[in-house]
Amino acid sequence: MDQSGRAVVVEDLRKNYGSKAAVDGLRFSVARGRFFGFLGPNGAGKSTTIRMLTGLLRPTSGDAVIEGVRLSADPLGVKRIIGVLPEELPLYERLTGEEYLLFAGRMHGLSRAETEKRAAELLQFLSLAEDAPRLTLEYSQGMKKKLALAAALIHNPRVLFLDEPLNGIDPVSARVVTDLLQRLTRNGVTLFFTSHVLDVVERLCDEVAIIDRGRIVAQGSLAQIRAQRTGAQDASLEDVFLKLVDADVTRRDLSWIA
Amino acid sequence: MDRLIALVGLRLKLEIRSFIGRRERVASLALLLPGLLLGTVLMSGLAWLGVTALARTEPGLVLPALSAVTTAVGVLWALSPLLAGMALTETHDLTRLLVFPVPFRTLLASSLVANLLEPAALAKLPVVVVACAALGGSLASRPLVLLSGLLAFVLMLATAQTVGLVLHALSRNRRLHDLMLFVGIGLGFVVSLFPLLLLSGGGRTAGVAVRAVLVGDVFAFSPWAWGVRGAIHASRGETIAAVSLALATFLALLSVVAANAVVARRLYEGALELGPPRGEAVSGRRFRLPGAVGVLLEKDLWLYWRDPRLKAMLLTSVLSPVVLLLLWRGASGRPSPFFLVFLAAFSGLGALGGNAFAIERRGLALLFSFPVDRFAVLLGKNLAAMTLRLPSLVALASVAALLAPGRLLLPVLATAIIAMLMGAATDNFLSILYPTPVPDPGRNPYAPVSGSRGLTAVFVTGLLMMAALTLASPFVFLTFLPLLLGMRGLLLFSIPLALAGAAGAYLLLVGGAVLLLERREPELLARVLAEE
Repeated sequence: MDQSGRAVVVEDLRKNYGSKAAVDGLRFSVARGRFFGFLGPNGAGKSTTIRMLTGLLRPTSGDAVIEGVRLSADPLGVKRIIGVLPEELPLYERLTGEEYLLFAGRMHGLSRAETEKRAAELLQFLSLAEDAPRLTLEYSQGMKKKLALAAALIHNPRVLFLDEPLNGIDPVSARVVTDLLQRLTRNGVTLFFTSHVLDVVERLCDEVAIIDRGRIVAQGSLAQIRAQRTGAQDASLEDVFLKLVDADVTRRDLSWIA
Repeated sequence: MDRLIALVGLRLKLEIRSFIGRRERVASLALLLPGLLLGTVLMSGLAWLGVTALARTEPGLVLPALSAVTTAVGVLWALSPLLAGMALTETHDLTRLLVFPVPFRTLLASSLVANLLEPAALAKLPVVVVACAALGGSLASRPLVLLSGLLAFVLMLATAQTVGLVLHALSRNRRLHDLMLFVGIGLGFVVSLFPLLLLSGGGRTAGVAVRAVLVGDVFAFSPWAWGVRGAIHASRGETIAAVSLALATFLALLSVVAANAVVARRLYEGALELGPPRGEAVSGRRFRLPGAVGVLLEKDLWLYWRDPRLKAMLLTSVLSPVVLLLLWRGASGRPSPFFLVFLAAFSGLGALGGNAFAIERRGLALLFSFPVDRFAVLLGKNLAAMTLRLPSLVALASVAALLAPGRLLLPVLATAIIAMLMGAATDNFLSILYPTPVPDPGRNPYAPVSGSRGLTAVFVTGLLMMAALTLASPFVFLTFLPLLLGMRGLLLFSIPLALAGAAGAYLLLVGGAVLLLERREPELLARVLAEE
């Protein structure tokens, strides 16, 4: 695969748990500076894929290249250029929000002065400045999410992996975050984004891939996928998604509800 | 009634699950049941022998002695939620049930009945029955003896439940929760010192104190003792005293249940809200130390200091060797040089088994997501572990300086540092090969997880401990060589040389551990997060 202009290249990536394939030979690539939506139902393999691409889970087979750095050959090199917002938020509960950002910046090799400057800006930007001196165990889920996002951004990564970044965030902050993410893509940062909120995906993403039972079932721009799968350009992403993952949404009424 | 049965069933299921892991369910059950039975048989035997022997040899002490024992058990049971961290478990959490339309009386009754039916409580019932039987008495007095004994037992259970409920309610406030956790671990440490005190010659003093307490019958006014005293009077045919004390116990039981009901009612009505768990702002910016090693070191030190559980463990680790040294001295006068070297090695080797990655818990995924050289990661973690052991070594050295010949002080301290370096280095291998899984997100992060290190890890720990001692021994020998040769002045050279050699060996071992970590990092992470 020609890798020029590609921020993420996934090569036959596979993860088995016993005889079950959680991710079953994924092959796809993401162009640099794209807002890439990675969609799928629960248990489809999204988080497993992200954990493999970020070097936190060893693939059973296959490999990936992130911004020209081969993951299997130089996992630390990949970690230098990516930022990760995992679905679970393993924050250190007994550090304050500000300390957490200072810790993250320093661990990414930033100087103390630069880390402090960026941490202050991020806390202000994400409306966390008031709660910055409090322990993160006292944060709400949305605050934790914003803090983890700030930590993922502090070293100015070239590729950002975001697993459900808007879950639990209030509408005002969600707007601030989505504006920021769009600005990042305009500056050449590639966003690898998962969400169950298809309206948000439809609004933000240039390109999506849909994964179901560990396999990619569709990839391309939204217009391409709509045209290929429904034959109608005005079909909603939700309709396309449900069709692609073969979802059965018809249900009999509950017997005790009239 | 259906709801009552369902709630009691739910409580029992939660209780049993707290004993039994997911993977080892059958094996755990196979160990748990015989363990409970054996414990019951042993305790019953002890109760029978104790009561009959006391009645035969010191009949005047039966009343005060059994009063003291039941009071001690009652206090320990009441404090058990604190000692075992039980105040923080879901078994006392009525609030989870408040979303259901369950009447208050059903909720309260379920709580009391489930408490009486707990396997651990049921296992103690035969002990009470046997103790009552051991008191003897006429056939006609036996029902009253048994009734009084059972009332005392139920009162102990009810008190423990009420205290557990109160602690649980208070623990919803983070500051109080942290404080209770800290106090509970401290109490546990103090309680654990009693056997050592008795073994080390402190038993004679303790014996005098116990005898004074018994002669004065100071527990006569303890409500936990009334039931047992009633049983003793009944066995002696003193019916009026027996009935009066049984009634007093019953009234005490009613009061405790009423207190329980009040707390439960306030919880039920949502009135027992201690405010949102917001602590005060933590002032000051951190991370002044240079480099990734410095940042990791500083982070771990703050986490230890701010976590009540870790802080309590740290303080007990500081006190343990000092207590051991003082108790040993109490038994045999001046500590021998061999004992001091043993104690120094034991204190230093404590770094092995500390588990370099344990404090990270689910944060290990975060730690491994940083582009930091793994040598720096291990060095930072080890430095933190060793820094946390330093107060223990300083305390040990201070006490040793007072008790032991001065010439031993520096070699003993050097021995502790050498053992600590080797312990930390070998612990890296253990942490990588046998990491400790952590509970799922949202669960108590300190709860045990089934499928943890296992027996192989125990065996490997033993091997690594032997390896650490073997690796440390040439450097320790070098430290003591001037004393063996009778040339104390050479200590100025031998000790720095031994420490430098141990540091070199430590760095080589960390290098080896890094190679292992780089190969096993994702597997290690999967195991810690229990995803294998």
